[in-house]
Amino acid sequence: MAEHGCSDESVNRRKYLKALSVGAAAGLAGCTGGGGSETEATESGSGSDGSGGDTETGGDNSGSTWDSELEVLHGWAGGDGEAAVTALIEAFEEEHPEMDTNFQAVGASANVNLNATILRRLANNNPMSSFANWPGKNLERYSGALMDLEADVWDAEGFKDTMQSRAVELCKFNDKMPAVPIGSHRMNNLFYNTAVFEEAGIDASSLDSVDALLDALETIDQNTDVTPMAQAMVAPWTNLQLWAQILTSQSGVEAYMNFIEGNPDRAAVVEALEALKTINENYITADASSISFTTAGQKVISGKAATIHQGNWVYGMFRADDSFNYKEQWDWIPFPGTEGIYFYHVDSIVAPSNNPSREETVAWQKFVGSKKAQIAFNNPKGSVPLRTDIDPSELTDFLAMTYEDLTDSEAYPPTIAHGLAVTPKTMGACKTAFGDNFMGPFKVEATADALIEAVSE
Amino acid sequence: MATHDNTEHVSDATDEAVGWESKLQYFLNSDFVRSAPYWGIPFVLMSIAVYGGIGYNFAISFTDYEGLGTPDYSVLDLEMYAQALSSDAFIAAAQNNLVLLVGFTTICLVLGLFLAILLDHGIRFSEKFQTVYLLPMSLSFVVTAQLWLWMFNVESGILNLVVTTLGFNPVDWLGNPSIALGAVIFALIWQFSGYTMVVYLAGLQSIPDDQFEAARVDGASITRTYLRIIVPQLKEASVSAAVVLMVFALKAFTFLYALVGRYRPPNGTDILATLMVRRAFKFGEWAYSAAIATMLLIMALGVIGPYLYYQYKQGSL
Repeated sequence: MAEHGCSDESVNRRKYLKALSVGAAAGLAGCTGGGGSETEATESGSGSDGSGGDTETGGDNSGSTWDSELEVLHGWAGGDGEAAVTALIEAFEEEHPEMDTNFQAVGASANVNLNATILRRLANNNPMSSFANWPGKNLERYSGALMDLEADVWDAEGFKDTMQSRAVELCKFNDKMPAVPIGSHRMNNLFYNTAVFEEAGIDASSLDSVDALLDALETIDQNTDVTPMAQAMVAPWTNLQLWAQILTSQSGVEAYMNFIEGNPDRAAVVEALEALKTINENYITADASSISFTTAGQKVISGKAATIHQGNWVYGMFRADDSFNYKEQWDWIPFPGTEGIYFYHVDSIVAPSNNPSREETVAWQKFVGSKKAQIAFNNPKGSVPLRTDIDPSELTDFLAMTYEDLTDSEAYPPTIAHGLAVTPKTMGACKTAFGDNFMGPFKVEATADALIEAVSE
Repeated sequence: MATHDNTEHVSDATDEAVGWESKLQYFLNSDFVRSAPYWGIPFVLMSIAVYGGIGYNFAISFTDYEGLGTPDYSVLDLEMYAQALSSDAFIAAAQNNLVLLVGFTTICLVLGLFLAILLDHGIRFSEKFQTVYLLPMSLSFVVTAQLWLWMFNVESGILNLVVTTLGFNPVDWLGNPSIALGAVIFALIWQFSGYTMVVYLAGLQSIPDDQFEAARVDGASITRTYLRIIVPQLKEASVSAAVVLMVFALKAFTFLYALVGRYRPPNGTDILATLMVRRAFKFGEWAYSAAIATMLLIMALGVIGPYLYYQYKQGSL
């Protein structure tokens, strides 16, 4: 009885499976057949459309029609960066209202997620239209997968004449020009809280060397309850960045250039590390190792720290606070001992080869280099345009001053902590040098060895 | 119609053809083939998604694949493994991984057992305590990492509030490389000791009360009762909890990544997983990272292997 039931069931199951496979086969055949006829229909349909009135009216509206979606990846996911990229997108959509666009903000913390996403997609041969990244040696990361914009964008728009020559150079890579610069941050800054400097009796304009800075930090430490300097060490790049300023200030631009070009002077490297050690051991907040630069910047705003050294994106942050104003509550000097120097940083928009939307990408990159785009983006971002023909009155006070420095400084050393000066690998090794040896306890000799090995490779 | 054709054919056919046909019929009717749709589909999916992935990772680790482009399989060698084993960063990460694995698992087990024994004594509100202890485990690493980042803050964190109230100097929990790994392990223990507690509690509650009573009648002290009679019976629970904990220790990447929001964790807490992701997605060193991944897999198998063997010996596998 049971056996009978079982075989009966198995027959049923077999029948069921047979029916299922027959059904599936029929479905598959039906689909393919349907697909085939559908394609035919579309083809003939589009053919008739082409001769019909639809396309003609489209042609009347604008000279160009866009077939593909423009997909741009960037890392400006919050704060001033977000405001800047929103302004840029709005301006672009005004210019090309009929284009399908997809702007994606990937992560916020120092491009970590953005770079990983770009690398993964390019390695999987799934490129986007454009992405935000640093030009210069940083492009090594995407070597062999970059589009050449020289003829279609640079020459077509005459950008080589309107952009700063050193920005033009940084956008060249392996005889191609895959990037268009969007803005520059100045790196050699010292921002300070005016009330604290006043209380400690320090005249900021007298700070003309690292020694003067160290004395001033000591005075603040003695005369006030405020921590002399805010430093963020959750990531090692801030130490690398500050060290590069100290090196340049103590031993000159040439020493710094020699270092990034692979001929480091050990004595100069050690001297700068000693000064950085003095600062990190005595004058920074105790929680430096677990905070990011935004938290560090907040400490200057709230008066818990007197000064901070950072790229001038800190300006974008200060400005967001209405009760903390330039020349009133805070002020700026070039990093002591680096007057007349503009430490160079560039943000750019890069296009990968095998581009999914060639026409759209070219139009977008042309827009990125335009006056309209550079002003729209840089004002909220706290950076300055790289075109040489911008009227400074279009920029905010602080940016107008920075822009003037951008156009006439004596030297423009490229930043090491932000991709321009050295390849990503060397930059990684320099960060590791600080990460492994200089997060407290501060080992000067070991760090110097690691730094020299990093650039000498 | 078709059936009719078939019958004709069979009646005309030679013996040999009949034999072949019935063999096929027999084969198609066998349990193996009839059950194929049930095990075959998952088998194929698993092969592609899991074992295919492992195999591809293995293959890449023998190449020199780096940057963008396609891997070159013409030269296969163990260079990446040699490079990793001779690198200080790899050795340090492997050591940290081992410390994390052993330290975290041991302390979690001991603490979990202690809590379970306390709760097993039928204290008031024991169910509520159980929930309180288990709750951290239900939280995502992303949440707990942020929570601990605040608590570890040198100036305003609650841990230093306690430390300074007791009269000690504030401790730089995450900034001091010799303490950072301990701090991370501490945070992970907070999250997972509740889990071990629940596993042990289930084990304890399955032990009949008679044993406690018998021990008391015989005059054994409470400590002795637990050490000699109760704990040895929790072997099964210990092994299964330990395996789950070790696997979590190997997966601590999520916690470390969420802690700082980047691929470089606080100094002194770099583990193989963070090292691997950093080399792969920051520098595009695919082959080198694949070699690290393979060694991490071997480490994980080293943990799971003995457990599987134990299960096999017990006859439950």
